[in-house]
Amino acid sequence: MNPIPALKFVARVAVQNILRNRGIAVASILTITLTLLGAGVAVVVVHALDGVLHTEEAQASVLKVFMADHVGFASEVNLEHNLGSPASVASATFENKDQAAQQAGSSLGLTQAINLLERSGAGNPLPASLNFHLKNIKAVSELNQQVRTSALLDSGPHPTDYNADVIPRLERYIFVAQLGGGLVVGVVGAVALVIITISVRTAAYVRRREIEIMKLVGATDWFVRWPFVLEGVIVGVISALVASVILLGVGLGFGGGHSLALGIGAPFAGVTVLALIVAGGALGSVGSFVGVRRSLST
Amino acid sequence: MSISTSPPPPVVKAATAGSSSLARSEPPIIVFEKVSKVYANGQAAIRDASFTVRPRDFVFVVGASVAGKSTVIRLLIREERATQGHVLVEGQDLARLKHRHLPRLRRKMGIVFQDFKLLPALTVEQNVAFAIQVTDPGRPHLKEKVGEALYIVGLEDKLNAFPTELSGGEQQRVAIARALVHRPRIFLADEPTGNLDPDAGWGIVQLLQQINHRGATVVMATHNREVVDLCRRRVLAIEDGRIVRDESEGAYLRDGDAIL
Ligand SMILES: Nc1ncnc2c1ncn2[C@@H]1O[C@H](COP(=O)(O)OP(=O)(O)OP(=O)(O)O)[C@@H](O)[C@H]1O
Ligand SMILES: [Mg+2]
Repeated sequence: MNPIPALKFVARVAVQNILRNRGIAVASILTITLTLLGAGVAVVVVHALDGVLHTEEAQASVLKVFMADHVGFASEVNLEHNLGSPASVASATFENKDQAAQQAGSSLGLTQAINLLERSGAGNPLPASLNFHLKNIKAVSELNQQVRTSALLDSGPHPTDYNADVIPRLERYIFVAQLGGGLVVGVVGAVALVIITISVRTAAYVRRREIEIMKLVGATDWFVRWPFVLEGVIVGVISALVASVILLGVGLGFGGGHSLALGIGAPFAGVTVLALIVAGGALGSVGSFVGVRRSLST
Repeated sequence: MSISTSPPPPVVKAATAGSSSLARSEPPIIVFEKVSKVYANGQAAIRDASFTVRPRDFVFVVGASVAGKSTVIRLLIREERATQGHVLVEGQDLARLKHRHLPRLRRKMGIVFQDFKLLPALTVEQNVAFAIQVTDPGRPHLKEKVGEALYIVGLEDKLNAFPTELSGGEQQRVAIARALVHRPRIFLADEPTGNLDPDAGWGIVQLLQQINHRGATVVMATHNREVVDLCRRRVLAIEDGRIVRDESEGAYLRDGDAIL
Protein backbone atom coordinates (compact mmCIF):
# COMPACT_ATOMS: atom_id res chain seq x y z
CA MET A 1 0.00 0.00 0.00
CA ASN A 2 1.25 3.43 -0.93
CA PRO A 3 1.43 5.54 2.26
CA ILE A 4 1.08 9.02 0.77
CA PRO A 5 -2.36 8.60 -0.83
CA ALA A 6 -3.44 6.59 2.21
CA LEU A 7 -2.53 9.47 4.52
CA LYS A 8 -4.20 11.89 2.15
CA PHE A 9 -7.34 9.78 2.36
CA VAL A 10 -7.21 9.77 6.16
CA ALA A 11 -6.72 13.54 6.33
CA ARG A 12 -9.44 14.24 3.79
CA VAL A 13 -12.03 12.06 5.54
CA ALA A 14 -11.13 13.43 8.99
CA VAL A 15 -11.55 17.04 7.86
CA GLN A 16 -14.70 16.10 5.94
CA ASN A 17 -16.12 14.48 9.10
CA ILE A 18 -15.46 17.57 11.17
CA LEU A 19 -16.97 19.88 8.56
CA ARG A 20 -19.92 17.62 7.91
CA ASN A 21 -20.74 17.41 11.61
CA ARG A 22 -19.77 21.00 12.42
CA GLY A 23 -22.32 21.30 15.23
CA ILE A 24 -21.03 18.25 17.05
CA ALA A 25 -17.43 19.26 16.44
CA VAL A 26 -17.93 22.78 17.81
CA ALA A 27 -19.88 21.46 20.80
CA SER A 28 -17.19 18.95 21.66
CA ILE A 29 -14.42 21.52 21.18
CA LEU A 30 -16.23 23.89 23.56
CA THR A 31 -16.82 21.24 26.19
CA ILE A 32 -13.31 19.85 25.98
CA THR A 33 -11.91 23.39 26.10
CA LEU A 34 -13.85 24.00 29.31
CA THR A 35 -12.68 20.75 30.86
CA LEU A 36 -9.07 21.33 29.82
CA LEU A 37 -9.38 24.85 31.21
CA GLY A 38 -10.48 23.33 34.52
CA ALA A 39 -7.47 21.04 34.43
CA GLY A 40 -5.19 23.92 33.42
CA VAL A 41 -6.39 26.14 36.26
CA ALA A 42 -5.94 23.25 38.69
CA VAL A 43 -2.40 22.69 37.48
CA VAL A 44 -1.52 26.40 37.65
CA VAL A 45 -2.99 26.79 41.14
CA VAL A 46 -1.25 23.66 42.42
CA HIS A 47 1.97 24.89 40.86
CA ALA A 48 1.64 28.35 42.47
CA LEU A 49 0.80 26.77 45.82
CA ASP A 50 3.70 24.40 45.39
CA GLY A 51 6.03 27.35 44.83
CA VAL A 52 4.87 29.04 48.04
CA LEU A 53 5.15 25.82 49.98
CA HIS A 54 8.61 25.11 48.63
CA THR A 55 9.88 28.49 49.83
CA GLU A 56 8.38 27.76 53.21
CA GLU A 57 9.76 24.27 53.13
CA ALA A 58 13.26 25.52 52.30
CA GLN A 59 13.12 27.78 55.32
CA ALA A 60 11.72 25.06 57.51
CA SER A 61 14.18 22.45 56.31
CA VAL A 62 17.01 23.78 58.42
CA LEU A 63 18.31 21.78 61.37
CA LYS A 64 20.33 23.91 63.76
CA VAL A 65 22.77 21.87 65.81
CA PHE A 66 24.17 23.80 68.78
CA MET A 67 27.77 23.06 69.74
CA ALA A 68 29.16 22.74 73.23
CA ASP A 69 31.58 25.60 73.89
CA HIS A 70 34.60 23.33 74.36
CA VAL A 71 34.29 21.79 70.92
CA GLY A 72 37.21 22.62 68.69
CA PHE A 73 37.07 23.50 65.07
CA ALA A 74 38.46 20.10 64.00
CA SER A 75 35.65 18.23 65.72
CA GLU A 76 33.10 20.49 64.15
CA VAL A 77 34.54 19.82 60.76
CA ASN A 78 34.42 16.14 61.60
CA LEU A 79 30.74 16.33 62.60
CA GLU A 80 29.94 18.30 59.50
CA HIS A 81 31.72 15.74 57.44
CA ASN A 82 29.93 12.83 59.07
CA LEU A 83 26.48 14.29 58.99
CA GLY A 84 26.80 16.38 55.92
CA SER A 85 27.38 13.41 53.70
CA PRO A 86 23.89 11.80 53.62
CA ALA A 87 22.00 12.35 50.43
CA SER A 88 19.32 14.26 52.26
CA VAL A 89 21.66 17.15 53.13
CA ALA A 90 21.90 19.91 50.56
CA SER A 91 24.49 22.01 52.39
CA ALA A 92 25.84 22.71 55.84
CA THR A 93 27.04 26.08 57.19
CA PHE A 94 28.89 26.85 60.37
CA GLU A 95 27.72 29.71 62.55
CA ASN A 96 30.23 30.72 65.25
CA LYS A 97 29.38 32.34 68.59
CA ASP A 98 29.91 35.87 67.33
CA GLN A 99 27.73 35.30 64.30
CA ALA A 100 25.07 33.80 66.55
CA ALA A 101 25.21 36.87 68.77
CA GLN A 102 24.95 39.14 65.78
CA GLN A 103 22.04 37.14 64.40
CA ALA A 104 20.22 37.16 67.73
CA GLY A 105 20.95 40.85 68.08
CA SER A 106 19.55 41.85 64.76
CA SER A 107 16.60 39.51 64.53
CA LEU A 108 15.56 39.47 68.19
CA GLY A 109 16.64 42.94 69.29
CA LEU A 110 18.77 41.46 72.07
CA THR A 111 21.96 43.42 71.29
CA GLN A 112 21.93 45.33 74.53
CA ALA A 113 21.29 42.29 76.67
CA ILE A 114 24.12 40.38 75.02
CA ASN A 115 26.51 43.29 75.32
CA LEU A 116 25.60 43.55 78.97
CA LEU A 117 26.34 39.88 79.60
CA GLU A 118 29.64 40.04 77.75
CA ARG A 119 30.77 43.08 79.72
CA SER A 120 29.82 41.46 83.02
CA GLY A 121 32.41 38.76 82.27
CA ALA A 122 29.93 35.96 81.67
CA GLY A 123 30.95 35.98 77.99
CA ASN A 124 28.80 35.34 74.92
CA PRO A 125 25.98 33.09 76.07
CA LEU A 126 25.03 31.96 72.58
CA PRO A 127 26.42 28.67 71.33
CA ALA A 128 28.03 28.12 67.97
CA SER A 129 25.97 25.95 65.62
CA LEU A 130 26.09 23.86 62.49
CA ASN A 131 23.14 24.61 60.25
CA PHE A 132 22.14 21.77 57.97
CA HIS A 133 20.01 22.70 54.97
CA LEU A 134 18.11 19.59 53.97
CA LYS A 135 16.69 18.79 50.58
CA ASN A 136 13.54 17.28 51.94
CA ILE A 137 11.54 18.48 54.85
CA LYS A 138 10.83 14.92 55.94
CA ALA A 139 14.52 14.23 56.54
CA VAL A 140 14.81 16.89 59.24
CA SER A 141 13.50 14.87 62.16
CA GLU A 142 15.50 11.84 61.09
CA LEU A 143 18.77 13.76 61.02
CA ASN A 144 17.81 15.31 64.34
CA GLN A 145 17.64 11.84 65.92
CA GLN A 146 21.11 10.98 64.62
CA VAL A 147 22.72 14.22 65.70
CA ARG A 148 21.36 14.22 69.22
CA THR A 149 23.51 11.26 70.25
CA SER A 150 26.74 13.16 69.54
CA ALA A 151 28.82 14.21 72.56
CA LEU A 152 29.82 17.42 70.87
CA LEU A 153 26.46 19.01 71.34
CA ASP A 154 25.53 21.77 73.70
CA SER A 155 24.35 20.22 76.96
CA GLY A 156 21.40 22.54 77.36
CA PRO A 157 17.75 21.40 77.22
CA HIS A 158 17.56 22.18 73.46
CA PRO A 159 20.74 20.94 71.79
CA THR A 160 19.13 21.19 68.39
CA ASP A 161 16.47 23.36 66.90
CA TYR A 162 14.13 22.99 63.99
CA ASN A 163 10.68 24.21 63.14
CA ALA A 164 8.89 21.10 64.33
CA ASP A 165 5.24 21.94 63.93
CA VAL A 166 5.54 23.68 60.58
CA ILE A 167 6.71 20.50 58.94
CA PRO A 168 3.63 18.27 59.26
CA ARG A 169 1.43 21.24 58.48
CA LEU A 170 3.28 21.96 55.26
CA GLU A 171 3.22 18.31 54.36
CA ARG A 172 -0.52 18.27 54.83
CA TYR A 173 -1.00 21.33 52.62
CA ILE A 174 1.14 19.91 49.88
CA PHE A 175 -0.68 16.61 50.05
CA VAL A 176 -4.13 18.22 49.93
CA ALA A 177 -3.15 20.52 47.08
CA GLN A 178 -1.70 17.69 45.02
CA LEU A 179 -4.62 15.39 45.76
CA GLY A 180 -7.14 18.11 44.91
CA GLY A 181 -5.30 19.04 41.73
CA GLY A 182 -4.90 15.40 40.73
CA LEU A 183 -8.58 14.77 41.38
CA VAL A 184 -9.66 17.73 39.25
CA VAL A 185 -7.33 16.69 36.43
CA GLY A 186 -8.57 13.08 36.63
CA VAL A 187 -12.27 13.93 36.61
CA VAL A 188 -11.83 16.50 33.88
CA GLY A 189 -9.81 14.04 31.78
CA ALA A 190 -12.49 11.38 32.16
CA VAL A 191 -15.20 13.85 31.11
CA ALA A 192 -13.22 14.92 28.04
CA LEU A 193 -12.62 11.28 27.12
CA VAL A 194 -16.33 10.46 27.31
CA ILE A 195 -17.18 13.50 25.18
CA ILE A 196 -14.71 12.56 22.47
CA THR A 197 -15.92 8.95 22.51
CA ILE A 198 -19.52 10.06 22.09
CA SER A 199 -18.59 12.53 19.38
CA VAL A 200 -16.68 9.93 17.39
CA ARG A 201 -19.42 7.37 17.89
CA THR A 202 -21.87 9.90 16.48
CA ALA A 203 -19.58 10.56 13.52
CA ALA A 204 -19.30 6.80 12.96
CA TYR A 205 -23.07 6.54 13.07
CA VAL A 206 -23.45 9.31 10.53
CA ARG A 207 -20.95 7.49 8.34
CA ARG A 208 -22.31 3.98 8.98
CA ARG A 209 -23.26 3.36 5.36
CA GLU A 210 -19.82 4.42 4.21
CA ILE A 211 -18.17 2.16 6.79
CA GLU A 212 -20.42 -0.72 5.79
CA ILE A 213 -19.40 -0.31 2.15
CA MET A 214 -15.73 0.01 3.08
CA LYS A 215 -15.89 -3.35 4.82
CA LEU A 216 -17.80 -4.95 1.97
CA VAL A 217 -15.24 -3.91 -0.61
CA GLY A 218 -12.40 -5.14 1.60
CA ALA A 219 -11.00 -2.03 3.28
CA THR A 220 -8.81 -2.83 6.27
CA ASP A 221 -9.64 -1.59 9.77
CA TRP A 222 -6.82 0.90 9.29
CA PHE A 223 -8.84 2.86 6.73
CA VAL A 224 -11.93 2.84 8.89
CA ARG A 225 -10.18 3.74 12.13
CA TRP A 226 -7.54 6.34 11.33
CA PRO A 227 -9.76 9.11 9.97
CA PHE A 228 -11.68 8.96 13.25
CA VAL A 229 -8.51 8.94 15.32
CA LEU A 230 -7.21 11.94 13.42
CA GLU A 231 -10.57 13.63 13.86
CA GLY A 232 -10.34 13.09 17.62
CA VAL A 233 -6.77 14.39 17.71
CA ILE A 234 -7.73 17.50 15.73
CA VAL A 235 -10.67 18.22 18.04
CA GLY A 236 -8.48 17.59 21.13
CA VAL A 237 -5.62 19.79 19.96
CA ILE A 238 -7.90 22.65 18.89
CA SER A 239 -9.53 22.50 22.33
CA ALA A 240 -6.10 22.55 23.98
CA LEU A 241 -5.05 25.59 21.95
CA VAL A 242 -8.23 27.49 22.81
CA ALA A 243 -7.84 26.55 26.48
CA SER A 244 -4.19 27.70 26.44
CA VAL A 245 -5.03 31.06 24.91
CA ILE A 246 -7.73 31.66 27.51
CA LEU A 247 -5.54 30.46 30.37
CA LEU A 248 -2.59 32.64 29.37
CA GLY A 249 -4.85 35.57 28.53
CA VAL A 250 -6.46 35.46 31.96
CA GLY A 251 -3.03 35.02 33.55
CA LEU A 252 -1.76 38.10 31.74
CA GLY A 253 -4.81 40.00 32.90
CA PHE A 254 -4.13 39.10 36.54
CA GLY A 255 -0.48 39.94 36.24
CA GLY A 256 -1.27 43.42 34.90
CA GLY A 257 0.15 42.45 31.53
CA HIS A 258 3.61 41.91 32.95
CA SER A 259 3.73 38.27 33.78
CA LEU A 260 2.11 35.14 32.49
CA ALA A 261 -0.39 32.96 34.25
CA LEU A 262 -0.64 34.08 37.89
CA GLY A 263 2.78 35.60 37.91
CA ILE A 264 4.43 32.35 36.89
CA GLY A 265 7.21 32.56 34.38
CA ALA A 266 7.19 31.89 30.66
CA PRO A 267 8.87 28.45 30.90
CA PHE A 268 6.06 27.16 33.07
CA ALA A 269 3.46 28.66 30.72
CA GLY A 270 5.17 26.93 27.79
CA VAL A 271 5.18 23.61 29.61
CA THR A 272 1.52 24.04 30.51
CA VAL A 273 0.51 24.75 26.92
CA LEU A 274 2.54 21.78 25.69
CA ALA A 275 1.00 19.55 28.36
CA LEU A 276 -2.50 20.69 27.39
CA ILE A 277 -1.84 19.96 23.72
CA VAL A 278 -0.40 16.54 24.49
CA ALA A 279 -3.32 15.86 26.82
CA GLY A 280 -5.83 17.03 24.19
CA GLY A 281 -4.21 14.89 21.51
CA ALA A 282 -4.03 11.85 23.78
CA LEU A 283 -7.64 12.24 24.87
CA GLY A 284 -8.65 12.62 21.24
CA SER A 285 -6.90 9.51 20.02
CA VAL A 286 -7.91 7.29 22.94
CA GLY A 287 -11.52 8.52 22.76
CA SER A 288 -11.62 7.83 19.03
CA PHE A 289 -10.20 4.35 19.41
CA VAL A 290 -12.92 3.52 21.90
CA GLY A 291 -15.59 5.32 19.89
CA VAL A 292 -14.89 3.55 16.62
CA ARG A 293 -14.30 0.08 18.06
CA ARG A 294 -17.92 -0.92 17.79
CA SER A 295 -17.91 -0.17 14.06
CA LEU A 296 -15.05 -2.57 13.45
CA SER A 297 -16.47 -5.72 14.98
CA THR A 298 -17.60 -7.44 11.77
CA MET B 1 -20.58 -4.90 -25.00
CA SER B 2 -22.93 -2.74 -22.97
CA ILE B 3 -26.39 -3.95 -22.15
CA SER B 4 -29.38 -1.74 -22.74
CA THR B 5 -32.12 -1.45 -20.18
CA SER B 6 -34.76 -1.74 -22.89
CA PRO B 7 -37.19 -4.68 -22.65
CA PRO B 8 -35.39 -7.99 -22.79
CA PRO B 9 -35.67 -10.37 -25.70
CA PRO B 10 -38.56 -12.72 -25.00
CA VAL B 11 -36.47 -15.85 -24.66
CA VAL B 12 -32.83 -15.92 -23.89
CA LYS B 13 -31.31 -19.31 -23.56
CA ALA B 14 -28.27 -18.70 -21.43
CA ALA B 15 -25.05 -20.17 -22.65
CA THR B 16 -23.85 -22.98 -20.46
CA ALA B 17 -20.14 -22.30 -20.58
CA GLY B 18 -20.17 -22.20 -16.77
CA SER B 19 -20.42 -25.96 -16.44
CA SER B 20 -17.79 -27.05 -18.91
CA SER B 21 -16.03 -30.33 -18.39
CA LEU B 22 -12.90 -28.43 -17.42
CA ALA B 23 -14.71 -26.86 -14.46
CA ARG B 24 -15.76 -30.30 -13.24
CA SER B 25 -12.19 -31.35 -12.73
CA GLU B 26 -11.30 -28.29 -10.66
CA PRO B 27 -11.73 -28.22 -6.88
CA PRO B 28 -14.87 -26.46 -5.67
CA ILE B 29 -14.57 -22.74 -5.02
CA ILE B 30 -17.31 -22.76 -2.37
CA VAL B 31 -18.09 -25.60 0.04
CA PHE B 32 -20.83 -25.77 2.65
CA GLU B 33 -20.22 -28.79 4.85
CA LYS B 34 -23.05 -29.66 7.26
CA VAL B 35 -23.47 -25.98 8.05
CA SER B 36 -25.88 -24.80 10.70
CA LYS B 37 -26.43 -21.21 11.71
CA VAL B 38 -28.25 -20.22 14.87
CA TYR B 39 -28.41 -16.45 15.47
CA ALA B 40 -27.64 -14.99 18.88
CA ASN B 41 -31.36 -14.72 19.62
CA GLY B 42 -31.75 -18.49 19.18
CA GLN B 43 -33.28 -18.25 15.69
CA ALA B 44 -32.08 -21.13 13.53
CA ALA B 45 -31.55 -19.87 9.95
CA ILE B 46 -29.55 -22.68 8.31
CA ARG B 47 -29.88 -26.34 9.28
CA ASP B 48 -27.29 -28.91 8.31
CA ALA B 49 -26.78 -27.55 4.79
CA SER B 50 -24.21 -29.13 2.47
CA PHE B 51 -23.41 -28.16 -1.13
CA THR B 52 -20.47 -27.23 -3.30
CA VAL B 53 -20.05 -24.67 -6.06
CA ARG B 54 -17.48 -25.15 -8.84
CA PRO B 55 -15.52 -22.30 -10.37
CA ARG B 56 -17.58 -20.44 -13.01
CA ASP B 57 -20.86 -21.94 -11.82
CA PHE B 58 -23.95 -19.76 -11.81
CA VAL B 59 -26.23 -20.63 -8.88
CA PHE B 60 -29.65 -19.32 -7.93
CA VAL B 61 -30.42 -19.73 -4.23
CA VAL B 62 -34.20 -19.68 -4.03
CA GLY B 63 -36.77 -20.03 -1.29
CA ALA B 64 -39.62 -18.29 0.46
CA SER B 65 -39.06 -15.30 2.70
CA VAL B 66 -37.04 -16.11 5.85
CA ALA B 67 -35.94 -19.41 4.30
CA GLY B 68 -32.31 -18.47 4.98
CA LYS B 69 -31.05 -17.18 1.60
CA SER B 70 -29.45 -14.02 2.95
CA THR B 71 -27.84 -16.03 5.71
CA VAL B 72 -26.03 -18.11 3.08
CA ILE B 73 -24.61 -14.90 1.59
CA ARG B 74 -23.68 -13.52 5.02
CA LEU B 75 -21.85 -16.75 5.84
CA LEU B 76 -19.91 -16.51 2.57
CA ILE B 77 -18.65 -12.99 3.26
CA ARG B 78 -18.04 -13.96 6.90
CA GLU B 79 -20.40 -11.32 8.16
CA GLU B 80 -21.70 -14.25 10.20
CA ARG B 81 -19.92 -17.40 11.36
CA ALA B 82 -21.36 -20.88 11.05
CA THR B 83 -22.56 -22.25 14.38
CA GLN B 84 -21.70 -25.76 13.20
CA GLY B 85 -20.02 -27.22 10.17
CA HIS B 86 -17.62 -25.54 7.79
CA VAL B 87 -17.87 -22.88 5.10
CA LEU B 88 -14.91 -22.96 2.73
CA VAL B 89 -14.02 -20.41 0.07
CA GLU B 90 -11.20 -21.40 -2.26
CA GLY B 91 -10.30 -24.10 0.22
CA GLN B 92 -10.09 -21.70 3.16
CA ASP B 93 -12.20 -22.49 6.22
CA LEU B 94 -13.86 -19.18 7.09
CA ALA B 95 -14.21 -20.21 10.73
CA ARG B 96 -10.43 -20.09 11.02
CA LEU B 97 -10.06 -16.83 9.12
CA LYS B 98 -8.59 -14.13 11.34
CA HIS B 99 -10.34 -10.79 11.54
CA ARG B 100 -7.39 -9.02 9.95
CA HIS B 101 -7.62 -11.32 6.91
CA LEU B 102 -11.27 -10.49 6.22
CA PRO B 103 -10.35 -7.72 3.75
CA ARG B 104 -8.43 -10.24 1.63
CA LEU B 105 -11.48 -12.50 1.48
CA ARG B 106 -13.81 -9.66 0.58
CA ARG B 107 -11.56 -8.37 -2.19
CA LYS B 108 -11.95 -11.73 -3.89
CA MET B 109 -15.69 -11.16 -3.88
CA GLY B 110 -18.01 -8.75 -5.54
CA ILE B 111 -21.16 -8.23 -3.50
CA VAL B 112 -24.44 -6.49 -4.36
CA PHE B 113 -27.69 -6.15 -2.47
CA GLN B 114 -31.31 -5.31 -3.00
CA ASP B 115 -30.77 -1.76 -1.68
CA PHE B 116 -27.71 -0.91 -3.86
CA LYS B 117 -25.79 0.68 -0.96
CA LEU B 118 -24.52 3.66 -2.93
CA LEU B 119 -23.26 6.85 -1.31
CA PRO B 120 -25.74 9.58 -2.26
CA ALA B 121 -23.24 12.43 -1.94
CA LEU B 122 -20.88 10.90 -4.50
CA THR B 123 -21.22 10.77 -8.26
CA VAL B 124 -21.40 7.49 -10.16
CA GLU B 125 -17.70 7.67 -10.93
CA GLN B 126 -16.80 8.54 -7.33
CA ASN B 127 -18.97 5.72 -5.97
CA VAL B 128 -17.05 3.20 -8.07
CA ALA B 129 -13.68 4.81 -7.35
CA PHE B 130 -14.45 4.65 -3.63
CA ALA B 131 -13.89 0.89 -3.61
CA ILE B 132 -10.34 1.41 -4.85
CA GLN B 133 -9.60 4.48 -2.74
CA VAL B 134 -10.38 2.74 0.53
CA THR B 135 -8.46 -0.43 -0.31
CA ASP B 136 -5.61 0.59 -2.55
CA PRO B 137 -5.29 4.36 -2.75
CA GLY B 138 -2.72 5.46 -5.22
CA ARG B 139 -3.43 2.53 -7.50
CA PRO B 140 -2.33 3.73 -10.93
CA HIS B 141 -4.86 4.30 -13.71
CA LEU B 142 -7.73 4.70 -11.24
CA LYS B 143 -9.84 6.62 -13.72
CA GLU B 144 -9.35 4.05 -16.47
CA LYS B 145 -10.25 1.16 -14.16
CA VAL B 146 -13.39 2.94 -13.00
CA GLY B 147 -14.27 3.76 -16.60
CA GLU B 148 -13.76 0.15 -17.63
CA ALA B 149 -16.08 -1.14 -14.86
CA LEU B 150 -18.73 1.41 -15.81
CA TYR B 151 -18.38 0.43 -19.46
CA ILE B 152 -19.05 -3.22 -18.61
CA VAL B 153 -22.32 -2.26 -16.91
CA GLY B 154 -23.25 0.17 -19.69
CA LEU B 155 -23.05 3.41 -17.73
CA GLU B 156 -19.98 4.98 -19.29
CA ASP B 157 -22.04 8.08 -20.15
CA LYS B 158 -23.31 8.67 -16.60
CA LEU B 159 -20.02 9.29 -14.82
CA ASN B 160 -21.06 12.57 -13.26
CA ALA B 161 -24.62 11.72 -12.36
CA PHE B 162 -25.63 11.32 -8.73
CA PRO B 163 -27.41 8.14 -7.60
CA THR B 164 -30.69 10.00 -7.05
CA GLU B 165 -30.66 10.99 -10.72
CA LEU B 166 -30.60 7.34 -11.81
CA SER B 167 -33.28 4.68 -12.17
CA GLY B 168 -33.21 1.70 -9.82
CA GLY B 169 -31.75 -0.51 -12.51
CA GLU B 170 -29.01 2.01 -13.23
CA GLN B 171 -28.21 2.32 -9.52
CA GLN B 172 -27.83 -1.44 -9.29
CA ARG B 173 -25.47 -1.30 -12.27
CA VAL B 174 -23.34 1.25 -10.45
CA ALA B 175 -23.23 -1.12 -7.46
CA ILE B 176 -22.19 -3.94 -9.80
CA ALA B 177 -19.47 -1.78 -11.35
CA ARG B 178 -18.18 -0.98 -7.88
CA ALA B 179 -18.16 -4.68 -7.04
CA LEU B 180 -16.19 -5.40 -10.22
CA VAL B 181 -13.20 -3.11 -9.66
CA HIS B 182 -11.26 -5.73 -7.71
CA ARG B 183 -11.89 -8.25 -10.52
CA PRO B 184 -13.61 -10.68 -8.15
CA ARG B 185 -13.49 -14.44 -8.72
CA ILE B 186 -16.79 -14.77 -6.87
CA PHE B 187 -19.80 -12.54 -7.36
CA LEU B 188 -22.54 -12.62 -4.71
CA ALA B 189 -25.92 -11.00 -5.17
CA ASP B 190 -28.65 -10.91 -2.52
CA GLU B 191 -32.01 -10.17 -4.16
CA PRO B 192 -30.39 -7.83 -6.71
CA THR B 193 -33.70 -7.48 -8.56
CA GLY B 194 -35.85 -7.11 -5.45
CA ASN B 195 -36.39 -3.36 -5.86
CA LEU B 196 -36.59 -3.34 -9.65
CA ASP B 197 -39.35 -3.65 -12.19
CA PRO B 198 -39.19 -6.85 -14.30
CA ASP B 199 -37.36 -5.25 -17.26
CA ALA B 200 -34.69 -3.63 -15.16
CA GLY B 201 -34.38 -6.81 -13.11
CA TRP B 202 -33.91 -8.88 -16.22
CA GLY B 203 -31.20 -6.50 -17.38
CA ILE B 204 -29.35 -7.02 -14.12
CA VAL B 205 -29.59 -10.81 -14.39
CA GLN B 206 -28.23 -10.65 -17.94
CA LEU B 207 -25.37 -8.56 -16.65
CA LEU B 208 -24.64 -11.14 -13.95
CA GLN B 209 -24.64 -13.87 -16.59
CA GLN B 210 -22.20 -11.83 -18.63
CA ILE B 211 -19.96 -11.48 -15.57
CA ASN B 212 -20.23 -15.24 -15.19
CA HIS B 213 -19.14 -15.68 -18.82
CA ARG B 214 -16.11 -13.56 -18.10
CA GLY B 215 -15.07 -16.21 -15.58
CA ALA B 216 -16.60 -15.28 -12.23
CA THR B 217 -18.57 -17.70 -10.09
CA VAL B 218 -21.98 -16.18 -9.39
CA VAL B 219 -24.28 -16.93 -6.46
CA MET B 220 -27.57 -15.06 -6.56
CA ALA B 221 -30.17 -15.29 -3.81
CA THR B 222 -33.59 -14.48 -5.20
CA HIS B 223 -37.29 -15.11 -5.09
CA ASN B 224 -37.75 -13.76 -8.60
CA ARG B 225 -39.46 -16.75 -10.16
CA GLU B 226 -39.60 -15.34 -13.68
CA VAL B 227 -35.86 -14.81 -13.87
CA VAL B 228 -34.99 -18.24 -12.50
CA ASP B 229 -37.36 -19.97 -14.88
CA LEU B 230 -36.04 -18.06 -17.90
CA CYS B 231 -32.40 -18.73 -17.15
CA ARG B 232 -32.52 -22.44 -16.37
CA ARG B 233 -29.30 -22.39 -14.42
CA ARG B 234 -28.41 -24.32 -11.31
CA VAL B 235 -31.01 -23.90 -8.56
CA LEU B 236 -30.46 -24.48 -4.84
CA ALA B 237 -33.80 -24.37 -3.06
CA ILE B 238 -33.92 -23.63 0.66
CA GLU B 239 -36.88 -24.25 2.90
CA ASP B 240 -36.74 -23.36 6.55
CA GLY B 241 -32.95 -23.43 6.49
CA ARG B 242 -32.61 -26.79 4.74
CA ILE B 243 -31.41 -27.45 1.19
CA VAL B 244 -34.41 -29.23 -0.27
CA ARG B 245 -33.41 -29.26 -3.94
CA ASP B 246 -30.25 -28.88 -6.02
CA GLU B 247 -30.78 -29.04 -9.81
CA SER B 248 -28.28 -28.13 -12.49
CA GLU B 249 -30.84 -26.60 -14.87
CA GLY B 250 -33.66 -26.00 -12.45
CA ALA B 251 -36.82 -23.96 -12.22
CA TYR B 252 -38.01 -21.80 -9.34
CA LEU B 253 -40.47 -24.45 -8.24
CA ARG B 254 -40.20 -28.21 -8.30
CA ASP B 255 -41.61 -29.55 -11.57
CA GLY B 256 -44.57 -31.10 -9.79
CA ASP B 257 -45.31 -27.91 -7.85
CA ALA B 258 -45.12 -25.74 -10.92
CA ILE B 259 -48.34 -27.26 -12.22
CA LEU B 260 -50.26 -26.10 -9.18
N1 LIG C 1 -29.24 -10.89 12.52
C1 LIG C 1 -30.21 -11.78 12.79
N2 LIG C 1 -30.52 -12.06 14.08
C2 LIG C 1 -31.46 -12.95 14.37
N3 LIG C 1 -32.17 -13.63 13.46
C3 LIG C 1 -31.94 -13.38 12.18
C4 LIG C 1 -30.94 -12.45 11.77
N4 LIG C 1 -30.91 -12.41 10.43
C5 LIG C 1 -31.84 -13.28 10.01
N5 LIG C 1 -32.46 -13.87 11.05
C6 LIG C 1 -33.49 -14.90 10.98
O1 LIG C 1 -32.97 -15.99 10.26
C7 LIG C 1 -33.94 -16.50 9.39
C8 LIG C 1 -33.43 -16.50 7.97
O2 LIG C 1 -33.23 -15.15 7.58
P1 LIG C 1 -32.66 -14.74 6.14
O3 LIG C 1 -32.48 -13.28 6.15
O4 LIG C 1 -31.48 -15.59 5.86
O5 LIG C 1 -33.85 -15.15 5.20
P2 LIG C 1 -34.08 -14.84 3.65
O6 LIG C 1 -34.33 -16.15 3.00
O7 LIG C 1 -33.00 -14.02 3.12
O8 LIG C 1 -35.41 -14.02 3.70
P3 LIG C 1 -35.90 -12.84 2.73
O9 LIG C 1 -36.39 -13.49 1.48
O10 LIG C 1 -37.02 -12.20 3.49
O11 LIG C 1 -34.75 -11.93 2.50
C9 LIG C 1 -35.19 -15.69 9.59
O12 LIG C 1 -36.04 -16.38 10.49
C10 LIG C 1 -34.69 -14.42 10.23
O13 LIG C 1 -35.66 -13.89 11.09
MG1 LIG D 1 -32.86 -12.03 2.41
